[in-house]
Amino acid sequence: MVCTQEELRSSKHDEKELRVLAERIYDLDTKVYTCLGSSLGRVFTKDRERCVNELVWEMLARNQGHIVRSDLALISNMARTIRDRQVKKELMTEYDKILTEVTSLPTSFAEGDVLNEERSRLNKTSLHTRFSENDHTVICIGRTFGSGGSEIGFTLADKLQINYYDAEIFSEVLRRLDAERDNVYDKGGFPYILDQENKDRYVDTRPAFMTEQKVTLGRKFKDFGRYHGLPKKDAVFFNQSQLICDMAKKEDFVVMGRCADVILANNNIPHISIYITAPFEQRLRRVMSVNPSLSEKKAREMLKRLDRKHVKYFKFYTGLEWGKAMNYDLCINSASYGIQGSVDMILRMFNEA
Amino acid sequence: MSIAFCIPFIGILLCIAVMPLVKGEWWEKHQPLVAGFWSLLLIIPFGIVFGAGETLEVVLECIIGDYLSFIVLLFGLFCVSGNITLEGDLAGSPRVNIILLTIGTLLSSLIGTTGSSMLMVRPVLKMNAWRRHRKHIMVFFIFLVSNIGGCLTPIGDPPLLMGFSRGVPFSWSLHLFPILLFNMAVLLFVFYWVDRKKYCREIARGRVPDISRPGTRISIGGLHNLIFIVMIVGAVVLSGILPDLPAFKTAEGTVKGIHIYGEVMLTYPAVIEMAIILLAAFLSFKTTSETIRQKNHFTWGAIKEVAVLFAGIFITMQPALMLLKSVGGSLGLTKPVQMFWVTGALSSFLDNTPTYLVFLTTSGAMDFTQGIATTLGKIPVGMLTAISCGAVFMGANTYIGNAPNFMVKAISDENGIHMPSFFGYILWSLCILIPVFLLDTLVFFL
Repeated sequence: MVCTQEELRSSKHDEKELRVLAERIYDLDTKVYTCLGSSLGRVFTKDRERCVNELVWEMLARNQGHIVRSDLALISNMARTIRDRQVKKELMTEYDKILTEVTSLPTSFAEGDVLNEERSRLNKTSLHTRFSENDHTVICIGRTFGSGGSEIGFTLADKLQINYYDAEIFSEVLRRLDAERDNVYDKGGFPYILDQENKDRYVDTRPAFMTEQKVTLGRKFKDFGRYHGLPKKDAVFFNQSQLICDMAKKEDFVVMGRCADVILANNNIPHISIYITAPFEQRLRRVMSVNPSLSEKKAREMLKRLDRKHVKYFKFYTGLEWGKAMNYDLCINSASYGIQGSVDMILRMFNEA
Repeated sequence: MSIAFCIPFIGILLCIAVMPLVKGEWWEKHQPLVAGFWSLLLIIPFGIVFGAGETLEVVLECIIGDYLSFIVLLFGLFCVSGNITLEGDLAGSPRVNIILLTIGTLLSSLIGTTGSSMLMVRPVLKMNAWRRHRKHIMVFFIFLVSNIGGCLTPIGDPPLLMGFSRGVPFSWSLHLFPILLFNMAVLLFVFYWVDRKKYCREIARGRVPDISRPGTRISIGGLHNLIFIVMIVGAVVLSGILPDLPAFKTAEGTVKGIHIYGEVMLTYPAVIEMAIILLAAFLSFKTTSETIRQKNHFTWGAIKEVAVLFAGIFITMQPALMLLKSVGGSLGLTKPVQMFWVTGALSSFLDNTPTYLVFLTTSGAMDFTQGIATTLGKIPVGMLTAISCGAVFMGANTYIGNAPNFMVKAISDENGIHMPSFFGYILWSLCILIPVFLLDTLVFFL
């Protein structure tokens, strides 16, 4: 859909007004929460920017307006329990004003609506408007095992002279979680062993989606406390998400797998998402050439198993289909371009932007 | 007794169901007015037909005999549990929720469904605070902790206490353990998959719990209040034991007490029970810091709402209970399966204690030669099991089926959760509980 400049300006203006309204809603919740002195029942539990962005989106989406009204109702439920009558009156007056404004928002789709402004901005094919001066270049690469995706990512990072992250993220997460390496597996990707020189960087990592060893009851109890009652893989994923978002605010980098593209999109952080794959037979050949000891049957089984597990992992944590073209900026069949050709293509896209 | 006298009861139920949806703010402010209106709509015609004296006696019997001890117990547990706070960074996930619901369900038989609900509701709310869609957790909480979990002991749920005071052995309800286990297993299995789906949706939308610190820290504030909970549970047990002691009986065999009007008495065991509960609540407030209540977001809103609405419900349901007492024996219920469903269906809307008693009396009067010996006669194990399960389990079918249901709803509403409406909740029951009860029927009552 092509927007005229005037439509774009008007939409920007609307968004600005909605942002002010969203900030007022967030502030109202904060004030109510401060007055009550309890975090129990707080409607917006995340950071201000994230919550405001979500609210703006919900108000822009028109058919999501009921969620905002529902959030407001929850805030008012809490505000009504404030004991100080003066404070309660002030907050309820503010609530009434906000509710009037929210109620006056259109509730049905109009022609030309874009559902998620933030998302749509991230997904434009032209990249020149995506990154502002303050944003860092983050390239997220998803890939199938044996497609040469890791090597493409590594070469790309090298060419762009930015950091390449794969297993490092997992190691940092382990440090954060104070976890024991032997007991946790990196399910977010398959770390790349480039050559002997770089092998040390990845030597500690385990094969992706490796079947976990059976753990004792004692270990289960220990893990329960260590990971806040969460399944180990969820605790790793949550920490990984936080880490990727933190890193994206500080530096430029290429990150492999780990659902990084979806994590960043959910947090409205600009990035480029690329998916690299190749026909099954090509991947099979590559896997067998990298691991000469592997029989064809075993390699075939391994590839199928890894694909299955990767689909499941991606679906579980993102709700999206792994490898579905619509979820990425660019999908590459590395068998058509080769490793260097794929890198060149990405660089061309990047430089033209 | 004309069935038309049940109209005010239906009226108040419809108000509870519909008013929050159509005129929410007005409803919140005018609940006492609505409860009063429907009560008067019963009292005035009742007075015209049966006379002022008879009406006064019915209303006083309902208020003093049933409502007062009901609301004092609820008030006591509400106060004491509000003084216990659980702080920590355990993140609400399907696994953690299953553990919490299991603990809560088993605790219900030890400290009563009300006690367990009040004690567990805030920790469950807190651990799941990071999630946006939580109402299903509270719905299953009501199913399991506020109702089904109370079937193992007379402390668990008032109908069983009534059975105990009618001669059912204290430990008899432990025989219901396999049924409890079966229901828990099925419901927790369903819950796990529902919660997992919602949990995945939260993650997919980028919501994450705060687990930035390694390791879990859990601290409990106001832990000494557990003593007061034990005190309240003790008072409830006493209320079941004391009426049978000779010291509390008159020469005619009735329970001693303060005469109020006509045959209405405030019995001494009830006075003792209420005094102990109120003392526990008072001591709990005196010995616990205000900051703990603040952390718990403790307000009087939930108990006020329950007190007002249930006052109306208790008064307006009297004709329905009178009808039930008069026709209960002639319903021709002779099989456990019939007892289970009829006791259950009526317990979903009426107070489950008198409902249980009506059908216990009916069974006792059937001249069975074998079964559990009670003061009402011998009752076969199958019949007693069906009546007990029906009364305890099916209280979960509606918000008004059991007092803690409404309390949990009110506390959740006040703490950031949009609970289902009255009919919305019934839909949950129809989709999840009724199939489970059908399974119960097939496995245990046929």
